[in-house]
Parts: sequence; C-alpha cells; structure tokens
Amino acid sequence: MIELTGVTKRFDGKKQVTALNTVNLRIDKGEMVSLVGPSGSGKSTLLNLIGGLDKPSTGEIALDGAVLSGLSDDALTKLRRDKIGFIFQFFNLLPTLTCLENVSLPLHLRGWKKAQIEERAHELLTLVGLGKRLEHLPEELSGGERQRVAIARALSVYPPILLADEPTGNLDSATGVEILGLIRDLHERLQTTVLIVTHDKNVAESCARQIALKDGVVVQDRRV
Amino acid sequence: MSKWLWLLVAGTLWAQDARQIVEESQKRHRSRSQQYEGVLEVYDAKGGKNEKRWQFARIGSYGESKSVLRFLAPPLVKGVALLIHNHPDRASDQWMWTPELNRDRRIALQDRSTRFFGTDFSFEDLEERDVDQSDYKLLGEVALNGQACYQIEATPKKTRASQYAKTVIWVRKDILLPVQFEMYVKTELTKRMVHRKVEQVQGVWSTLELEMNDLRKKTRTVMKTEKLKYDMTLPEERFTLQALRRGE
Amino acid sequence: MILLKLISWQYVRKHLLRSLLTIAGIVLGVAVFVGMHTANQSVLTAFTQTVDRIAGATQLQITAGEAGFEEEVLERVQNVPEVRVAVPVIEAVATPETRSKGNLLILAVDMTGDRSLREYALEDGDDSFIEDPLVFLAQPDSIMITQEFAAENGIKSNDALTLNSMDGPKKFVVRGIMKSSGLTSAFGGNLAIMDVYAAQKVFGRGRRFDRIDLAVQEGLRPEEVGKKLEQILGAGYQVESPSSRGKQFESLSSVYGMLANITSLFALFIGMFIIYNSFAIAVTQRRSEIGILRALGATRGQIQVLFLMESAVGGLIGAGLGAGLGVLIARGMAGSLGNLLGEIYGVAQKAEEVSSDPQLLAGAMVLGLITSLVAAWIPARNAARVDPVQALQKGKFQLLTAGENRTRRGLAFLFLVLVGLSLVYGEGRLIFYAGYFLSIFAGVLMVPTLGLWLAKGLRPLLKAIWPVEGALAADSLIQSPRRTSGAVAALALSVSLIIALGGMTQAAYASIEEWLRIALNPDMYLSPSQNLTDRSFRFPAAFAEEVAKLPGVRRTQFVRTVRLPVDGEPVMFVSLEVASIRKEVRLPVVSGDGDKMYAEAAAGRGVIVSDNFALQHKRKAGEILTVNTPEGPLDMPILGTVVDYSDQKGSILIDRAVYEKYWKDDSVNVVRIYLDEGVTVAQMRDRVAAQMGDRYRYFVFTNEDLRSYILKITDQWFGLTYIQIAVAVLVSILGIVNTLTVSITDRRRELGVLQAVGGLRMQIRGTIWLEALTIGAIGLVLGWVFGAVALYYALETSARDLSGMRLEYSYPFRMALVLIPVILGSSFLSSLGPAETAVRGSLVEALEYE
Repeated sequence: MIELTGVTKRFDGKKQVTALNTVNLRIDKGEMVSLVGPSGSGKSTLLNLIGGLDKPSTGEIALDGAVLSGLSDDALTKLRRDKIGFIFQFFNLLPTLTCLENVSLPLHLRGWKKAQIEERAHELLTLVGLGKRLEHLPEELSGGERQRVAIARALSVYPPILLADEPTGNLDSATGVEILGLIRDLHERLQTTVLIVTHDKNVAESCARQIALKDGVVVQDRRV
Repeated sequence: MSKWLWLLVAGTLWAQDARQIVEESQKRHRSRSQQYEGVLEVYDAKGGKNEKRWQFARIGSYGESKSVLRFLAPPLVKGVALLIHNHPDRASDQWMWTPELNRDRRIALQDRSTRFFGTDFSFEDLEERDVDQSDYKLLGEVALNGQACYQIEATPKKTRASQYAKTVIWVRKDILLPVQFEMYVKTELTKRMVHRKVEQVQGVWSTLELEMNDLRKKTRTVMKTEKLKYDMTLPEERFTLQALRRGE
Repeated sequence: MILLKLISWQYVRKHLLRSLLTIAGIVLGVAVFVGMHTANQSVLTAFTQTVDRIAGATQLQITAGEAGFEEEVLERVQNVPEVRVAVPVIEAVATPETRSKGNLLILAVDMTGDRSLREYALEDGDDSFIEDPLVFLAQPDSIMITQEFAAENGIKSNDALTLNSMDGPKKFVVRGIMKSSGLTSAFGGNLAIMDVYAAQKVFGRGRRFDRIDLAVQEGLRPEEVGKKLEQILGAGYQVESPSSRGKQFESLSSVYGMLANITSLFALFIGMFIIYNSFAIAVTQRRSEIGILRALGATRGQIQVLFLMESAVGGLIGAGLGAGLGVLIARGMAGSLGNLLGEIYGVAQKAEEVSSDPQLLAGAMVLGLITSLVAAWIPARNAARVDPVQALQKGKFQLLTAGENRTRRGLAFLFLVLVGLSLVYGEGRLIFYAGYFLSIFAGVLMVPTLGLWLAKGLRPLLKAIWPVEGALAADSLIQSPRRTSGAVAALALSVSLIIALGGMTQAAYASIEEWLRIALNPDMYLSPSQNLTDRSFRFPAAFAEEVAKLPGVRRTQFVRTVRLPVDGEPVMFVSLEVASIRKEVRLPVVSGDGDKMYAEAAAGRGVIVSDNFALQHKRKAGEILTVNTPEGPLDMPILGTVVDYSDQKGSILIDRAVYEKYWKDDSVNVVRIYLDEGVTVAQMRDRVAAQMGDRYRYFVFTNEDLRSYILKITDQWFGLTYIQIAVAVLVSILGIVNTLTVSITDRRRELGVLQAVGGLRMQIRGTIWLEALTIGAIGLVLGWVFGAVALYYALETSARDLSGMRLEYSYPFRMALVLIPVILGSSFLSSLGPAETAVRGSLVEALEYE
C-alpha cells in the first residue's frame, strides 16, 4: 500500500518551482495505476518521490506503513531494495555489463550468494523472454530487448511495487505494446502493484486506475 | 710614531716670515738623541679616563731618526713596543712587538686620518711636517694666556693631501715655540691642541704637557712628558728588531 | 577574446575544482622550480654579499687555494709599487658559546692597516667603538663583534665570549662593538673581527695567512695589477676580484641547482599529463558545445585557439600560484641548503634575505605557459577537428579509436628501437640523453595500451572479489582509457622516479658504506673541529707528532685536506703519508696497478685520483696533472684511479711530503690513529688528554662516530631527493583525484542507476575506491617496469654529470614493496573526496543526466 499525505515538492532554482502541490493519494496493493499529464505536470516527480529517489519538501509518503521521510539514505535504499523495482524510459542499463550481469546487479548489491544470483537471473531473463541472450551486451540488443532486461533487473527480488517512468516512451508502438503486455502479465502473475508514468493514451487506458496531474495537482483519479 | 714628538721639543728661534718661523723651529729642536717617559691620558665624552705610560728613546737626526717606544702601563699593554725607522726619501718602517703573542709585526701604511691607537691624535697629527708641505700666512700677533704670539695659518699644498683644510698655529714670540694648534676640516673647527706646560730642559724649550681636544666627539687626550733628556749616548743596537724582540 | 569569457569561463566555473586540479601539476612544478632556485640563489647571494661586504674596498684577493701561504708573501705584495695597500686576512668559522645558535664568521685582519680597506664604523658613533686599539692588538684574546650579535646575545664591551679554539674552549674579551654598517651585516651579523696574528695562533695557522686583500694605486686597473701580481707570485697563487669567489661557491652549489631543475621538470612533465588528460576529457565532454560553435560559424582555427587560450590562461594562473608558493617554501629550503653546504663543503653560509629574481619568476611563468600549451596542443587540435554534424547528434562519447592506439604503439616501438641504438652507440652525451628522453616517451606512449591490458587482466580478479563494485571499477578504466591513461602515466612516471632514486640511494649507500669500511678503518681520529668538514681549525704538526709518540699508538697518519683549484674548480686534495696508508687501506682500484700506484705515490712521483674526479674532469690514469703550487707548477702523473668518496667533486691523493714541500704547510686537519692490540679507544682518549692537557683543543672521534657522521651527511644529501619523491607522488595523486572527479561526472548516471536498483552508499563509494586502487595498482606495476629503465639512466646521469659516482645497478626490491602500501594508500586517499561527491548528488538528476 502506498500512501501520500499532503505531499508538496518544490525545486529551488533561480525561480522556485512547485512541482507537486499538496498531493493526497492512496494506492492499494495490487493496483495497476497510470499517471498521466502534460510535461512538467509533476508525474515523474511523484514517481521519484514514491521510489525514494527524492524527498518531498513537505508531507509524508508511506510504503506499507513505513514512513519514508524518517529514514536515512541507507535505510531508504534498503527499503527500496525490498519493495520497489524501477523501469526507466532510457533503460539505464550499464553498457559494460552483459544482460546477465545487469540483471544480477541488484542481487549482488544485496550480497546474495553467487549460485543463487545466477539461478535467479536466469529465471528472470527467462521470465521476460530473453533466456537465450544472457551473455550479450546491451548495445547488441534491440530497444525492446533492452527494456526487457531492464524489467528483469527491476524484478530482481520480486518487489511488491514496480515503478515505470515512460517504459514505452523510447520504443516503437509495436514494441511498446509488447512491453506493456509484459508488464501487465507480470502484474497479474505476481500481484505486483504497478505505477506507470506515461504520455501514451493507450498505455494509460490499459490501466485499471488513471490518475491525471496538472501543475502539480491531481486533477482526475479515475478507476475503469 | 716619533714624528709627532718634534712638537714637544719645538725650537725657539723664529723668523718674522711665517714660513721662516716654522722652518726655524724645526732646526732649533734638533738633537742627537732624546729619551723620556710619557703619560697619555685619554678622556672620553663621559669623563672616563684611560691612562698609558711609556718609555721613549730616539737617536739620529730629523728625517733619519730611529726610535723605540715601549709601553709600561697599564698591564694589558705592558711590554708592547714600537720601533720606527724614519727615512728621508720614503715612508718610515714601523714594527710592533706584542709580548703576549710573542711576536713582532710590521705596521702597515696608514690612512693618515686614522686615529692613533685610540687617542685623539690622528697619524697625520703626529707626522713630521716638512715645511715645504704647506703654504703659510701670518695672520697677525695676538695674546694667548697673557703671552704674545704669532698667529700663522698653514694651508696644505695641493700635492700633499691632508684631512685638514687648514691649521692655525700660535707661536710664542719670546721663545718661538708653537703653543696652540687649531685644525679645520672644510670650514669647521674640529680639533684644538694646546701646549699647556712649557719648560726649558737642558737649555731647550720643551713642551711637557700637551692637550688635544676633539671638538666634535668632545674627547681629549693629555700627554705628559717626564724625565726628558737630550743628547745622551744610546747604543745603535737598541733600535733594531732583534732588540725589540728581546724586550730591551 | 569574447569566446573565452562566454564559453570557457562558464565551463571552468562549473568545474572549478577540476580546473584547479588540472593546473595543480603546474603549480607544484613551478613552486619547486622557484622554491629551490630561489633558495639556491639566496644562499649564493648571501655568500656573495658576505664576500662583498667583507671585501670592503678590496679590489683583489690573493689566495693559494685553501692552503694559505707564508707571511713573507705579504711583503712581496706590499713591495709591488702598483699596490696601494695590501693586508693579510685569515677567515675562519668558530662556534661561540652564546645564546643564539649559529656560527661566528671570524675575519682576522691586521687592524693597524686594515681600515684602509674596510670601514669598521668605529669612530663616528658615541657608544660603538673599539675600547682601546692598543689593548686590542696587545692582547690575543681581543675580539670585536657586531652590534647585532652583541644585542642578540646580550654582550657588552669587555664581556667574555667563549669560542672553541685550538687552545681549547677559549675565553675572548669583546674589545669592540661595531656599529651597523655594510660590513656588520655580512653573514647575518654573525661576524667577529680579530687580530690576524692572534688568529694564526688560535686557528693553528702557524706563520701563514689565508689570503691577502689589496687595493691598487689610484688610476690603475685592478685586472692589470692582478696579472702582474700573478706573474710575480707564480701560478700557485690566485689573484682574483672578491666577486669571483662567489663563482667558486656557485660551482659547489651547482649540483643542487641541477637537482632543482630535474625535480621541477619532472613535476611539470607529470603535470603536463594531467593537463593533457583534462583537456582531452573536456574536448570530449564539450563536443556538442564545439558543434554549436562550429555551426554558428566558428572556424577550426578559432576552436583550436580557444582551447589553447584556455590552457594558456590556466598555465599562467598555475605558474603564478606556483611562483607564490615557491617563494614561500624557499625560506625553509634556503635554511636547510645553507646548513647542508656547510656540512658537506665546510662553507658555512646562511641566507638572510630570501628574494626571488624577477628573471627567475618570469622564467617560471614561461615554463608554466609552455608546459600548459604543449599539453593542450593535441586536445585543441582534436577539438578543431570535431565534426559539427556528428557532435550535435546525441550519443555516447567517441572512444579512443583503434587507429590512434596503433599509431601510439608504432611510435613507442620506433622509440624503443632508437633507445636500443642509443645504448649501443651512446658514448656521446647528446645521444645518451636523447635515448633517456625517448625511453620516457616510449613508456608514456605505451601507457594506454599497457594500462588497458592490465585493467582487462585485473577485471576478473576484481569481479571475483567484488562482483559489482570491482567489475564496474575495472570497466570504468577499460571504457575510458583516455580518461585514465594520463593519471596512470603520471603515476607510473612517479613510481619509476622513486624506484630510480631509491635504487640510486641504495647503491650509493652500499658503496659509501663499503668505502667507509675500507678507507676509514683507524680505531680513532683526532680533529681540531667538531665539524669534520670544517677546515677552519688545524693542528700544528707538533701536536700530531706528540700524539704519534704516545704509548699504545700503533700507527698514525696525518691528514691535511685542502681545496685547491684544478681547471679553475676547487678540488679536494687529501695529503697524507701514502706509504703508511698503503699498509692499512686499499681503496678499490678502478684503473692502474694497485701496488705500483701506491708505491709511486708514496715516493712522491705522482698522485692517485678518485674515480669521481676522473669522471668529472675527464682525466685518465697515465696523464699528467699540472697543479699550480706557490712554488711553481707541479707536474704529477696520475698513477691510477680509485674509488674514494672523500668529496663529491672528486679528490686527489697526494703524499704529505710533496704537499709540505710545495705548499710549505705542515698543519693537520685530522690525525688517524691505529691502536696497539689490547688498547681501547677510551684508554687512548685518556692518554691523549693526559698528554695534551688543555694545551690544544681537539675532538676525539671513534671509528663509529666518524661513520655515523658521514652517513648523517649522506642522509642529509639524499634527504633532498625526498623532495623529489614527495612532489612526484603529490602531483600524481592530484592526477588521480582529477581523473576520478571526471570519472564520477561521466559515470553519474551509472552510479545513479546503481543506487536506484538498491546500491548502498558504501557500495557506491566502494566502486570509486576500487577505481582509484586499480589506477594505483596499474600505475604501480607500470612504474616498477619503467623504474628498472629509469634506474639505469639515473645511475648513468649521476656518474656522468652529478657526482661522478659509478654505482652498481641493483633493483630496489624493498623500495618497490614499500611502494605498494604507499601508492595504494595514497590512491585510496585521493578517492575519498570524489567518492563522497558521488554519493551526495541528486539521484533524480543523475538518472536524467545526459
């Protein structure tokens, strides 16, 4: 369960920008939610805050009852490890590592045993349909394949929450549909809570719940 | 070293002409030999006094004399001796014997304005002044301490560099003995030398007490002459380096 | 140039720390250059000033090396009509027992005549005067000091001042205090005047003078009178102007200047890599900016000039900062240099004022500028070649092209071949040094390739131990050779320098210790001075002869060391009884017949020279060495060359009888004593004390004392080389910091991802640390290899141009091992800052970073 109470995020620059303004939101376990809105509406910011990559200026965010603002950086990271998987628009795969190594990365960071890691990485890559491309470097893969690797990496420990920032934004529409299908499939099979930030109407509408943001304020919260 | 001593025994015969007066004084005091004991009192500006005593002996005539001067007191300089051989044609040879070091040394040629061993005399003050080295002018006749004197101005000739621009000399008319000197550096009067005690010894008028005042530093040096004797017989051998080393 | 302000300044402002780090190499290089040269110059100036101030109105000085000459020479000089005034001088350094530290330079003159040359400022003051000149001359314990020294030590007129003299620690009486003047400021006011004849006794000179100072008759040219005097006196005497004595001193301190040059050039050379590195990275990072500029109409030339201007400004700023820093460190260096020269050459000197020569500063600026421009040349050219179309397309940075690497490897190979050839045909100095530099260039050119190999080789190992951090650290290096090879090269060069210096030091110590064992084998020594290199004090021959007669003494050797000019340079002559020496000491023979050379030398039919003399003066056994003595020129065959480290500038072994005959000098610097069996040094010490009472001043040195004394001096000398090591390590550490700073910027996104997928701060830091450690390890390994070559060249350079020491090649393995923790430790330290920066940044920005 994700709970946001009066979350405001301001960016201090030459001019102060309020990216999110007093957002109250509750997302239940197992929901699949899309976040839509024009550029600068604050949807990515919201995602980053939920993922603990950033901290709100005021207000509180709780994941399964754990309040993020009270946590140290490392505690936050540990929470993130266990509960959240990230999928980025630009994949953010490490170019020097093979598919297997990229997927293994979070597991290594958790200090898993080597055999365990290998088993899990295999399992994940098979899950996203790349069981045969283990030793390839990211640059040898197509966009869709790279995103699959990224998704496999995000799933490393089967986190209860998956955060996706424009997962199809950098893909052609056919591949986009494919990737969205994969995410939906995982959501259904693993009962994962999924939050997708997207510009794509089709992607948004394929989600059971659609939240629309404008100028940092939730303007619509619709369940289909 | 002995050069200045002629001042103490300056002659008495003076001519009217300024140059002749000076020349005459040199002739008058000539003696075959001379011996005395001297006391030198140096007073610094604060009135402190430093006294030295020595024995002096000279043989030979003006310009070719040989002298030995041996210090008797104070203890720190006792035994230090000077041997001077004067030459008519060149600078004198001078040696110094220092008993503590047990050796003699040649005294190098001096800058003539250098002070003579911490006294108010400079080496130039003590030189034998050849008459021809200066031009003379009789300034007039004045009284000094109740004595009638010639007042003569001596200006060094261009060829003979001197620290002084001029010297004014008072010469007693009666005995033709110089009794006071005033020395000028540029136009400033810097030194005054007064013959305070003048007596006849063996028929020769001699200065027995002399005071040199440095007017700038406000120091003075008094020199007294005792047991003065002229024309005694002194062995030539006494005026050699060997004798100096033996401490005779 | 408006571009510089609009474009470059913005970049610099954004990367301020990095920009500063970039010029750090220049700052340090220039600082060392300015610092060491300023120190050197200051000491030299101080020496010249002392000479000048002491010289007063002296126009010419007559010496016979350091041997001095008999008194009668003075009269001969005084009788020359062209000479207006000539006075004798003895100069010595004594240690006063006073509050203030430091030696007293004693100028012993003939006060009766000396004032024609020197102004003692005695007369025109009220309270500064000589108490009684007659007493001063009459009493041998008279001494005159400067007002400065008196004030510093609270000494008044007629106070006692204890100086260590030949007659034991001796009380002098201050019988004059000089007012401040040019003279009293000589030697920092630590100047004392005494009577030259008293000094003869105190300093064991016999009836000899060290020197005659003279002025010529007015209207005559000193040079002409000097020539005439040389004719009259013979070639054994040197008639020179006072200022030319500074030149002799210069030749003694020249080694130091050379060291300064090597150190600073090295620092600048390493700095060059850092600048090259930074600019190469900047060009890559600013590709799109360059693309925009080009699209807006900037020509290739303008782009190139822009980058060169940047580097010029950076170079000048670096040089400016370096010059400032250099002036600051010069003071400390001048002090230690003064001491060192005093210890090694017995020429005590202290620099009072440390000021930099504007010419030196200008030179330093030019040096910094050139370094910077050379370093930026290739990156600037690359910038000019950036294709605007490609540059404007977003994409990953161009990696080092294979072609570029091939060219480098090809050049490196070519250079190596040339180096090989230079070694085979490298008799000539030019070819030798060309080979030296080519070997460095070859090494540098191979760094990217070798570094890459090593990084690839290390990756599996790192990955096995730290699967994420290790692999990423290695990848970071493998992916950006351009980013890292500069730092690696700098580090490798530093390590090679340390290996070379370490190897040289090790070899030098080994051979010096070997020499000590062979040459310094007497049981004890008697010296008139506490400082064995100080030749101010000497024993009269009578003293040595008395010692020789003591029961329990098996053998004595009287040593007189004196510096005499050979080919215009002062060279140490060691005169002793060769026949006696030959029974106890066999110095390792370099050339010549060992037995024969000693026999011949003992018979006075030649000299034995040290190998370092032979090398530095290009002399061979069998040649005739002509030495000018006061008795006329003396032709001595060089009987052979031996290993002898008596003096850095070389030494000449001559039989005592010959020396006595030609220099009329029977004084003794050191008495070497071999004891009968069963007699201990302590017993003999007592016997000497009982015999001599307090008639003489002497110091007893045991064999062990002397060894440790010489090793201490050796340490001090090599201490100077530690400056080089420190600078080299510091510069290369800065290089690593620079590289890492760039690395974390480049890898910001990667590090962000790492954190996003669950990397803890510690793990992020870990990967940066590992990157630094890997750079350190690669630099270290390459440095070890380069060091093996550098050591060869260092030994050759030392033998050819520095000390003339021929040293064995032995790789300093222990040093190499010690470097592991040092280099890895400092690499680690250098990564701490960048690692912290890496974990502090905003994650969100990092992930969006492009």
